[in-house]
Amino acid sequence: MALKALDIYKLLPKKNCKECGFPTCLTFAMKLASGKADAETCPYLDEATKQLLKGATRPPILRVKIGVGERSFAVGEEIVLFRHDKSFVHPPGILFLVSDRQTTDEIRRVATRVKDEVFPRVGELLRVNGIAIRNDSGSPEAFGKAVRVVEETAEFPEMLIAGSPASMEAALAECGNYRPLIHAATAENHGAMCSLAKRYGAPLAVRARGADALRNLAGTCAAAGVQDLVLDPFPETLGEFLITSTLIRRLALARSAPELGYPVYLDATAPGLEEAALSLGILKYAAVMVTTPRNPASLLPSLTLRQNIYTDPQKPIQMTPGIYRVGNPTRGDPLLLTVNFSLTYFTLLGYLESSRISCFLLLVDTEGFSVLTAVASGKLNENMIRDSLQRFGVEAETGHRTLVLPGYAAPLSGRVEEATGWKVLVGPRDAAEVPEFLEQSWKKAPGG
Amino acid sequence: MTDIGIAVRNGREELARGMRALSGTLQHPETAYHLPIAFALTGIAVHDADGAREAYGKAGSHPLVASECLRAARIAVQGPEPSPYTGFVPDTVIRKLGYSLVDGSILGLALLTGTPDSPDAAAAIARELQEKYMLTFLAGSVVPVLQKAGVKVGLDYRLVPLGSTPDAGVHFADILTRVAMMFGGVAPGDAGRLVAYAKERARAFVVVFPGLSETEVALTDSLRDLGIPILAAGGYGGGDWIAVAAGQAVTRGMELRQIRVKVTAIPIPMACSPAFEGKSIRKEEMHVEFGGGRSPAFELLRMKPAAEVKDGLVRVIGPEIGEMQPGTAVPLGILVDVAGARMRKDFEPVLERRIHNFVNYGEGSWHVAQRNLIWVRLSRDAIARGLRMEHLGKLIQAKFRIDFPDLLDAVQVTLLTDREKVLAAEKEAEAVYAERDQRVLGMKDEDVDTFYSCILCQTFAPNHVCIITPQRPALCGAISWLDGKIACEIAPAGANQPVARGRVIDALRGEFEGVNEFVRKASHGEVSRCALYGIMEYPMTCCGCFECVAAVLPDVNGFMVVNREYTGDTPMGMTFSTLAGTIGGGAQTPGFAGISKGYILSERFLQAEGGSRRLVWMPRILREELGDRLRARLAAIGIPDLFDQIADEETAPTLEQLVEFLARVGHPAPGMSPLV
Amino acid sequence: MAEQEEWTGTIGRVLLGATRGDGGTRSVQYCIGGSRDLPFLPGEAPCGKRPLIALEICDDPVLWPPVVREQVGDLAGDTAAWAREAEKTYGADLVRLHLTSTHRRQTPDPDGMKKTVESVLAATTLPLIIEGSSDPALDSEVFQRCGEAGAGERLLLGTAEADRYRSIAAAALAYGHAVIAQSPIDINLAKQLNILLREIGVPVDRIVIDPYTGALGYGFEYSYSVMERIRYAALKGDTDLAMPVISAAPDSLTVREVRDAAPADRQERALSWEFHAAFPAAVAGADIVCVRHPLSVKRLRDACSALAARQKGTPAQGGG
Repeated sequence: MALKALDIYKLLPKKNCKECGFPTCLTFAMKLASGKADAETCPYLDEATKQLLKGATRPPILRVKIGVGERSFAVGEEIVLFRHDKSFVHPPGILFLVSDRQTTDEIRRVATRVKDEVFPRVGELLRVNGIAIRNDSGSPEAFGKAVRVVEETAEFPEMLIAGSPASMEAALAECGNYRPLIHAATAENHGAMCSLAKRYGAPLAVRARGADALRNLAGTCAAAGVQDLVLDPFPETLGEFLITSTLIRRLALARSAPELGYPVYLDATAPGLEEAALSLGILKYAAVMVTTPRNPASLLPSLTLRQNIYTDPQKPIQMTPGIYRVGNPTRGDPLLLTVNFSLTYFTLLGYLESSRISCFLLLVDTEGFSVLTAVASGKLNENMIRDSLQRFGVEAETGHRTLVLPGYAAPLSGRVEEATGWKVLVGPRDAAEVPEFLEQSWKKAPGG
Repeated sequence: MTDIGIAVRNGREELARGMRALSGTLQHPETAYHLPIAFALTGIAVHDADGAREAYGKAGSHPLVASECLRAARIAVQGPEPSPYTGFVPDTVIRKLGYSLVDGSILGLALLTGTPDSPDAAAAIARELQEKYMLTFLAGSVVPVLQKAGVKVGLDYRLVPLGSTPDAGVHFADILTRVAMMFGGVAPGDAGRLVAYAKERARAFVVVFPGLSETEVALTDSLRDLGIPILAAGGYGGGDWIAVAAGQAVTRGMELRQIRVKVTAIPIPMACSPAFEGKSIRKEEMHVEFGGGRSPAFELLRMKPAAEVKDGLVRVIGPEIGEMQPGTAVPLGILVDVAGARMRKDFEPVLERRIHNFVNYGEGSWHVAQRNLIWVRLSRDAIARGLRMEHLGKLIQAKFRIDFPDLLDAVQVTLLTDREKVLAAEKEAEAVYAERDQRVLGMKDEDVDTFYSCILCQTFAPNHVCIITPQRPALCGAISWLDGKIACEIAPAGANQPVARGRVIDALRGEFEGVNEFVRKASHGEVSRCALYGIMEYPMTCCGCFECVAAVLPDVNGFMVVNREYTGDTPMGMTFSTLAGTIGGGAQTPGFAGISKGYILSERFLQAEGGSRRLVWMPRILREELGDRLRARLAAIGIPDLFDQIADEETAPTLEQLVEFLARVGHPAPGMSPLV
Repeated sequence: MAEQEEWTGTIGRVLLGATRGDGGTRSVQYCIGGSRDLPFLPGEAPCGKRPLIALEICDDPVLWPPVVREQVGDLAGDTAAWAREAEKTYGADLVRLHLTSTHRRQTPDPDGMKKTVESVLAATTLPLIIEGSSDPALDSEVFQRCGEAGAGERLLLGTAEADRYRSIAAAALAYGHAVIAQSPIDINLAKQLNILLREIGVPVDRIVIDPYTGALGYGFEYSYSVMERIRYAALKGDTDLAMPVISAAPDSLTVREVRDAAPADRQERALSWEFHAAFPAAVAGADIVCVRHPLSVKRLRDACSALAARQKGTPAQGGG
């Protein structure tokens, strides 16, 4: 059981010396409790207390970083079984698979895609995280060569899949210093794989079927001194993956099996079921996944699902405030105000687009709150609306001074008219009714 | 004048004789329920005279069973009656009728039976029933009487002629029993469930005209066993029938069965919608105004006995719009009288506040403030479109009926515009306000045994449960105990549920068995203990919309309170938003609590930790906002000096400065027992 | 937290479709619900069970997704034939008929609607979901006709909402059907509606929860979490939420990502976009998952079967 802030505070020196970087011991305790500080930074703790605090505040699932540089990604540090309990933390890394039996050109083509392909969506850039190279040939030379081709193309995280330590060594000689994920230590080869992982300081995947076997093998590898582990439960079916990964997550969060407190790996290349496997991995606790280089038509949905599921439920995705155009609006077309809560924006956009209405949307900054909550909390008010109209130069775009407010903002309409001098129309509460409202009311409106 | 007691006794005997003499086969067409009343009451599928007698015996010689069997036997011999009489109504039609009842397109069922003295009065009753969405059945001479008075009968007219003699009224009961079996899941033979269903769900009543025979009186009287009230429009005395004037029969019957017609449209020449709520009326746009310091004006909502409130009545006492000088301020008294079985005096102030919303919903009417501080304006546009004072009254009247259909049975509105009358009534209103203030101020947690929950925030914080007590408003500050109570009355399945306090576990900390139990359930098992008056142990969980955070400052044995509007740093080293992010989301964090501003003024504030003496720091804007109220509160507990001893961001921006400041001003907290 | 969470609740069961033996004409009766654990986990049910897949069709395709109209061609103009193909060609477990013709407010045609329902009942032997009126003003008439047309068939009727549930409840009670209870992505509103339905007399074993499902990328994550929360609360003993769940993301095939896809990619994008809301809904515990693209049926069924299979070679059954 994790300690609460006050329990931790009791163990601290209460000197408020600020040497940890926090202004008071209590703040430090709160940061420790939420896993956002390290007990090590307090110079006045004795060793026993430090260990106690570290044990109690250590993330139940350890952080593992894969790759180096800009495209590197971290996984682990998850704290809940359900995203609604708090939030999922690190989106799983998705890697495209190539084989060392493929030609140089083929490998380079995939690597180039990983390097360049991006899908901008809701203010984020969605992309595949890296590449996995599999030693299908069994030959260390071919494996090394394939890795070299990837290395020549770009810098992004790599995963090396080989059963033979000799092959793995050949590949690590090419990229070992860039924290590739080594896959995999098994019951047969773990000694050699552990040595390689330690030599290069690279993260190591351990593969064993089922939670019990994984627990033993991961325990062995950790004892051998490998710190960054990833667990491959090696499932036969999607159902088996779900059961095992759920069990691993549960035991890890309960801190009842520290050997299972590592991120989980899923090979999502199951023929015919690849998008199902990717979806399941995203939903149910996979941290690293390998897939074939999928057609963008079906890759984007997978990346979008990952974006959705790893959105903090308490911090909805925010849109950048500003003027947005729907269709091809020209001067005189309606101007609708809404908030920068992405769900509100997209819902509204959907209805407007499907009714083929051209208009301007003014998104104001409500810190991602919906209209109702923004009005209730005062985040949406006449002054910020006035400022937004000025800041974004709205009148120059629309050529008129009539603003449509969302129905839930009706209580503000009078004050907005006074603060801005604009004419205000109050629209419906439900986005579905907006097109009809515009049809009915905009034409009648002066300035409309 | 028929004496019901005697008629029932004689009628029952005659029915019993009839049953003894019964012979032949008994059958109704197109039904899966045999003789439905016998089947529902006893579970026996009656097809012949012996079966009928067995069921009659098993049903305790019930007149409904006898009447059903005897009528079936007679029809078997004589054949069905000619059109327009329906006789026994087949199952398929009942299914549709039942559908309309559940669906709400029929509000209830009525039976008219006997021979009306006055055709016009009977016709008026039939028409009123039609207008009020009732489905009415007719038995006996009432049918030709209505027809002669020009009333069309038939299922399409919601006036169903069952038969030419009053004994056809027994079909009314077989229809009810079939509805219970089809829609209420009542098993044949389960008489207990049948009666319960009929009493709770079947909204039915009977209006009896004179001329029933003794067996017919016995039959009609026994409908009372199904919870159906019998209203006698002349001709009967004694017994348990309710004598009414014909003109009152429908209103009375609907009242007795709590059948309410829904109001949907408000017939006034002004649009009315929440969309207009924020629309203000500027001086240039105004026709007249009321109050706002320019003329006396007030509003008052009171609960009255049902007899004193005539639903729908709207009166204007004093000048109407046409007699008011445009551009001037006119006196106004808004008096709303309400009645309702579930209405409580406690609800008055909360309902009264709705007048503000309702008047603002009008496109050309505007309202601010409350009580005798109100300020109302009517726009020139609205007056030009025909708006009168009377319409403003209708708007208020109708909105109360629409928004509180289950709470209020009757609402009447009086608008005073006569200066003398306004001034006189305002005096009275002031007394009511004062009395209310006294009551609310004096309301203590121990005066009630039920608190209210709020789980509106579970959308964001899945396991958060707010417990609202008279002395601890919801942590968002928006919902008081009374608000919770009313919300619960209006929407019993809604987000505000009653929480029985239960056994006291710790009076000081405010821990109660009932509250713990509720919180455990409503938090889906995540939180099992909840102290209402303390912060250090088992504090209430925090959602995300609390007005303030109270946080322990162990170094000074005190608490700071920081409000949402204050964006600066605190002596603890965390801003409001950082703190909120750390403790929010439905977690229980000892030492920290989300609270409302109102709670700071409560006697229960920090009760477990030693009360307001522990309050060491709050932002200046919060201290100013609470100002006199906080001074008064501190004075009341004997520490009037504390107000000036509470530090703020200027006197103590850091913890070190806070320690120093508290020592300098002699704040009591540092000298109190350690909190950690 | 233990290896296995301690659950006290069980999801209630709802029967859909009536065979001749049950007084109807369907070839199969499904029993949905009954779970005792999180979806697809070992404690859930004695044997692996996958969710049912419903293919949605409509009686007026004007507003139906263009990618579907392209795929089904002439079928879109022949509701009965469309329903037949849903069963025979596309392999759906259920057909969900949307009476989209009620959108045309000027021409409410209850008799025509009744005929449509009857023709669909004749064309397919599968249990049916009927989405009735889309206009509150028509509810009373439409649900009465639908309910009557399907009397005895144990239809699943949609869709009851908090301020619009009386007619559909009446139809369920009068003609023996089950109802879909939809609330806008909010666990407490879902609960509240279930209580309202119970109070009007609808038995709990006739209610299926629809928590409303947003399309992938358009709020889907809210729906996903609400489904997870409903299952969790029900297993924790909240009987007002212990009903099976139906999920449909009706906007999947008309989102911008599908509309703007290159023509060559559009079908695949559409299928994949629909899949990525439907399959996660199954993972979150939906007992019925609805799709509109006919080719989604097999894709989804294969994926759900693989999910329901604990080991290789143990085929999963739909429903039952």
